[in-house]
Amino acid sequence: MKSKQKTVIALKNISKIYEGPPQVKAIDKLTLEIQEGDLVSIVGQSGSGKSTLLNMIGLLDTVTEGTVEIEGQDISNLSDNELSKFRGEKIGFIFQSFFLLPGLTAQENVAEGLLYQGIKREERLKKAAEVLEDVGLGDRITHQPTELSGGQQQRVAIARALVQDPAFILADEPTGNLDKESGMNILNILKELNKQGKTVVMITHNQEHAKKFKKVITLTDGKIVA
Amino acid sequence: MKQRLKIKDLFFVALYGVRARRGRAALTSIGIGIGIAAIVAVTGISASGRADLLATLESLGTNLIKASPQAGFFGTQEKLPDGVVGMVERIGPVEEVTSTTQADLIVRRSDFISQFEGGGISTIVTSPELHQVVGGNLIEGRFIQDGLSNIPVTVLGSVTASRLGINTLETPTKILIGDEWFGVVGILDELKIHPDLDRSVFIGYGVAKTLFDIDKEPTTIYVRANPSYIEDVVEVIAPSMNPENPDQVQVSRPSDALEAQEAADAAFTNLLLGLGSVALLVGGVAIANVMVMSVLERRMEIGVRRSIGATRKEIRYQFLLESIVLSGIGGLVGVFLGTGITLGYTNYTDIVFSIPVSQVLGAILLALLIGAISGVYPAIKASKIQPAEAVRK
Repeated sequence: MKSKQKTVIALKNISKIYEGPPQVKAIDKLTLEIQEGDLVSIVGQSGSGKSTLLNMIGLLDTVTEGTVEIEGQDISNLSDNELSKFRGEKIGFIFQSFFLLPGLTAQENVAEGLLYQGIKREERLKKAAEVLEDVGLGDRITHQPTELSGGQQQRVAIARALVQDPAFILADEPTGNLDKESGMNILNILKELNKQGKTVVMITHNQEHAKKFKKVITLTDGKIVA
Repeated sequence: MKQRLKIKDLFFVALYGVRARRGRAALTSIGIGIGIAAIVAVTGISASGRADLLATLESLGTNLIKASPQAGFFGTQEKLPDGVVGMVERIGPVEEVTSTTQADLIVRRSDFISQFEGGGISTIVTSPELHQVVGGNLIEGRFIQDGLSNIPVTVLGSVTASRLGINTLETPTKILIGDEWFGVVGILDELKIHPDLDRSVFIGYGVAKTLFDIDKEPTTIYVRANPSYIEDVVEVIAPSMNPENPDQVQVSRPSDALEAQEAADAAFTNLLLGLGSVALLVGGVAIANVMVMSVLERRMEIGVRRSIGATRKEIRYQFLLESIVLSGIGGLVGVFLGTGITLGYTNYTDIVFSIPVSQVLGAILLALLIGAISGVYPAIKASKIQPAEAVRK
């Protein structure tokens, strides 16, 4: 599979073993390349290792075997600080349960996305308001998470992932807690972001949602089967 | 790598944990608050007592020496030779000397009272200088002004005045001393370090000689000396007064009694300080406990922060600072509470209010330090949570 696209992430023969008891091989000698501008969904039953795979891709977890390269750089020797910096600058995370911080407004939650970038608070809040506008929540910026619907909360979470302008969006079951309509809405946002040039990787157990993406990877027992 | 999370932002982040759980934060800080309040109040009250004592000593003077002969074999009041005042006056650092003679005279409000019911009031024959030497203010009237005059006038000590029921001299008032009527010309305020003088009436030598044939043979002398040499004067005063038997002269400094009393209070203060420290210790453990719980509860928050770029160190600082903030809040509340208690106490007991700023700052620093120590373990625990673990569904 030769292409002129840049490889963003390359997983080479990786395994992830959780030392038991019982010992679990969550990822089994898996090799995967994600190119710049890809729109990938990873599907699989629960327990198939999709979340573990996403954590590897997102540098939230380390591999037991194999190498992970980001933009050509082997990350196995990176320090915690460097990994954190990578996550903060290059990767935007979207979680199934939104993971908004309670007690903060939508705007403040989104602004948190820039907290560790050394940007001034006023600047962060200003940028957050802009991104919330982009995801269609311009009129909700002072609302607390509890005052928003699930779909709106997920859009706030997307805004938080986008505010640092990452090249790479990782979404872990982003539609899992949403009704059909809100779910479709979120999928459309992700597709739109891909059109704007972002690389998007989503994991889901919903085949129907997965099929809407250009590339579908099916995972079973920690191996790519399709 | 450069710290990207600015200090100001770190404060916001630390405050986030406190603001999001206000009730719990308040309960958590209580222990520290109580401990700091106890320490501030105890040191404040003790310092106020000390300041009040110093103010009292300042007004009374610590350079006052009292000397009198030892009581005789049968408890009789021994007398000193007339020339003793002159002898003491010749000691270099002595500034003022005056003498009193204890007179064996019953004091009564009127002749309706039996002459055997003296009410424990002594009659002291003295000269006008006594007032100046012992210090003290007059509530009413004046002190004896011409000690050698024959006019029968007297001045009352504060306790005497209340025992005789004389609070004002607006109308001319007379009392009986021995069998003679004396006009009251003045009432002294409480002298504090001379309770014996408070329970006395004062008459001049002149009238004492005329009416009762009492000679100027002092039973007590009062000396004011240069404060720098006070110890030396105490040393030489007895040999000067009675070169043959210096051990028969009893020399004392009335201010010593007050200081001894204060020293006894200090022991009690230390006990209370100890109790305050225990409260602080318990408060610190409570904070550590709550912070550990908080770390477990806030895995999601930690995961989110890690995914948006927080380093282990930044997570550690966040929880450490949060612990310090919690303890600091307790400390601040404690300082206000302790100051309030001290203010209330000093108002109630009518003494000088004094809280040393260094102790207030020290108390706040102590609270911050306890917060820092309590926060170390939870902070390390928080920073060790694997991001993947933290964001697990």
